[in-house]
Amino acid sequence: MLKSDLINILVVKRGVTQKQAESTIENIFESMKAALCRGENIEIRGLGAFHVKNYDGYQGRNPKTGEVIPVKPKRGILFRTGKELRDRVNRDEEHGATPADSKSGQGEGGQGTPPVAANGSL
Amino acid sequence: MTKADIIESVYEKVGFSKKEAAEIVEMVFDTIKETLERGEKIKISGFGNFIVRDKKSRVGRNPQTGEEIEISARRVLTFRPSQVLKNALNASAEAEAEAAAAAQASQNNPNQGT
Repeated sequence: MLKSDLINILVVKRGVTQKQAESTIENIFESMKAALCRGENIEIRGLGAFHVKNYDGYQGRNPKTGEVIPVKPKRGILFRTGKELRDRVNRDEEHGATPADSKSGQGEGGQGTPPVAANGSL
Repeated sequence: MTKADIIESVYEKVGFSKKEAAEIVEMVFDTIKETLERGEKIKISGFGNFIVRDKKSRVGRNPQTGEEIEISARRVLTFRPSQVLKNALNASAEAEAEAAAAAQASQNNPNQGT
């Protein structure tokens, strides 16, 4: 899925204009990028957290020539998946569509279980 | 930064109401989560890729007891920041470092001018 797919989904599902959708998606990731560049961490509940990590500079070496090269301090991003999403991503793999099947098998009950797509393999 | 800050930013820049902005941002993240749950990757140019990877089972160790245990096969989500994001991150880090260096430059001589 690409950025353009996210834009299309907003247009189709929310009825916003193409322009609004584009600027929304752009804005979401630009504001996240700006925060990370300020050295700020980001936490999105249910998705995960982005941490900015500062690495010290060090004396590196060219493995071929043995020449000493200074490596500058740098920054990297660490992403840690949130618990909810980690479980959801993993569960799908383990059981395929089975967890939903056991529920849909019972015709009784009818306790407001929404008729979500329970068919993983159509 | 949290989701609330992102909603605020969308609200200010795009011209939705607060409520709309909140619902739309929520929808974007929900869509991302559902897509990843299906095992599909997400590519955001200029930001990074979210990739779902299958891990084989392997033998690990309880670091406290040294006991060997099998770590089951699993599916994990990884994020790979784009080169653009990495460069932006380090450009801003260098700008900060230079500003800090400039503050001290009046006293010290720079060893290696770049």
